[in-house]
Amino acid sequence: MFPYRPRRLTVGRMSKAHPGAAAGFSRRRFLQTATLAGAGALLARNGGLARAAETVTLPFANGRRELVRFPQKRPLILLTARPPQLETPFAVFNEGLLTPNDAFFVRYHLAHIPTEIDPQTFRLQIRGQVNHPLTLSLTDLRTQFEPVEIVAVNQCSGNSRGFFQPRVGGGQLGNGAMGNARWKGVRLQAVLAKAGIAAGARQVVFNGLDQSVLEKTPDFLKALDVDQARDEDVLLAYEMNGADLPMLNGYPLRLVVPGHYGTYWVKHLHQITVVDETFKTFWMNPAYLIPDNDGACVPPGTTPTRTRPIGRFNVRSFITSLAEADVVRTGHPITVRGIAFDGGHGIQEILFSEDDGHSWRAAELGKDLGKYSFREWTIPFTPRRTGAFALRVKATNRIGESQPLEPLWNPAGYMRNVVETVHIQAA
Amino acid sequence: MMRLLLFAVAILIGVFLAGGVDQRATPLKIDLPPETTAFKPAPGAELVNGQCLVCHSVEYVSSQPPMPRPFWSAAVKKMVDKYGANVPPDQIDPIVDYLYHNYGDAPPPTTAPAAPAPAAPSTDPVQLGTKYGCLACHNPTMKIIGPALREVARKYQADPEAAQKIAHQIRHGGSGQWGSIIMPPFPQISDGEIQTLTDWILRQK
Repeated sequence: MFPYRPRRLTVGRMSKAHPGAAAGFSRRRFLQTATLAGAGALLARNGGLARAAETVTLPFANGRRELVRFPQKRPLILLTARPPQLETPFAVFNEGLLTPNDAFFVRYHLAHIPTEIDPQTFRLQIRGQVNHPLTLSLTDLRTQFEPVEIVAVNQCSGNSRGFFQPRVGGGQLGNGAMGNARWKGVRLQAVLAKAGIAAGARQVVFNGLDQSVLEKTPDFLKALDVDQARDEDVLLAYEMNGADLPMLNGYPLRLVVPGHYGTYWVKHLHQITVVDETFKTFWMNPAYLIPDNDGACVPPGTTPTRTRPIGRFNVRSFITSLAEADVVRTGHPITVRGIAFDGGHGIQEILFSEDDGHSWRAAELGKDLGKYSFREWTIPFTPRRTGAFALRVKATNRIGESQPLEPLWNPAGYMRNVVETVHIQAA
Repeated sequence: MMRLLLFAVAILIGVFLAGGVDQRATPLKIDLPPETTAFKPAPGAELVNGQCLVCHSVEYVSSQPPMPRPFWSAAVKKMVDKYGANVPPDQIDPIVDYLYHNYGDAPPPTTAPAAPAPAAPSTDPVQLGTKYGCLACHNPTMKIIGPALREVARKYQADPEAAQKIAHQIRHGGSGQWGSIIMPPFPQISDGEIQTLTDWILRQK
């Protein structure tokens, strides 16, 4: 009768420490050198069975996390249970350019989240400063508007917050609060055109079905300027990678704002309100504000004097085929692989360094899935001596924006985009 | 005519079964895994269990880096000022103390700080309900966050296992009985106190 299922979270757990764990090495080494696909598959399957009881340790103080299986998800890194906040294990980003739905990160703000939604009765309302208020079913959206697909990265504003020095409060994430998916839906532009935006409208406000527990906690509302809302790439998405959105990623409909931080990608979207003002809500101000300067940064430990709402992604790039403290064979050529993305201009160039940034070589760019997608890159690398290597990767986008060699800092821990370094050993 | 009608119905059923069924038309329902973690047992734990867990699970605190006292003080202030946490002014300092000593960069206290000394087990259910924060979510007659206690009593009126079930819910938490909001577990409440609370709840008819 009572839905209590004991979950033994504190006993018998295997530790899978990320950097430097000896057991981690040998397994990873084996995975990299295994030539039999069957052997790899077997290992992965066994790993999958054991994982529900595992932990991972993110490489910063107090970084130990449980891997927990939530509905429609594989075991993911548990940041918080209620409301659910789940991070994608970084190894997933080496599996392909699209992040599988069951591995895609989850971030909520308020604990009263929907757990049951009937797509037959679900309705999207468009109201406020419009000429024709609309109430649309999912069937209406699928049949009355042109379906559009776009591959786009979603990334949490606070992705990588755990690496900030000095540390800052908030979700202590590693690099896994991002993902790349093929979103399918209809253009917000088309829906707004059907409703007819009234003269004098300033912003469009988005509300999802998630609610606060306490009445006094501000509801999670986000706003876009009308011009931005009318951008042809902004979608109301009902599919992700060819399937319905998972519940925890916003079923049955979410806003997709390509190139922009996840805070705008309102989940379980059910109300769109056009307003004739700059909408005042806690979640636009004071939450999700960044220092109003080019690097969105201030000297560590200080408070910005001028701020603006967070917006587009800055440029980021990662090595995905090698992890911190991996061991490779001296003299043995390997291909280093990784990903890069930016706020929607597209990646122009990837530079790779095997000597901690003293010299750089251009990597080869992989298939272009669109300007909002992860872009794959590869480069051959042969460690010609034994010992330590500091591998670095740095991307530049098509308007010349790149990544800083030293991390920038802001008090909320947003927008980290330092040139990443992976330390490995050749033996 | 009748035969024709039956034929048409049969065809319609056939179409429906053969592929007219839209998978998307099925409601999607998920069951979230229950939380089983509570705050570290230490003086003041009953305050944070009663206040913080109303809106969020323990990891919001336990995953933070070891930070100095002003960090925890600012966090509690933010919960009250920005998120509307209903924390009485005289509980703020004890809560900050608890968070700082158990999750901050302070060494754990060797002796219990100014937090209330363990009093004799209370037999006053209202006092217990306040102490453990039950009344933050449950009102005797009105639904607030959780169901009204009167509704709980009515639901289990004819159930011989009512007391055990309610005791289990208090101890282990859970959701799905009354809605999607998860009730946190309260492992720190003693058996005697749970019995006092359970008896009191069942009297609310």
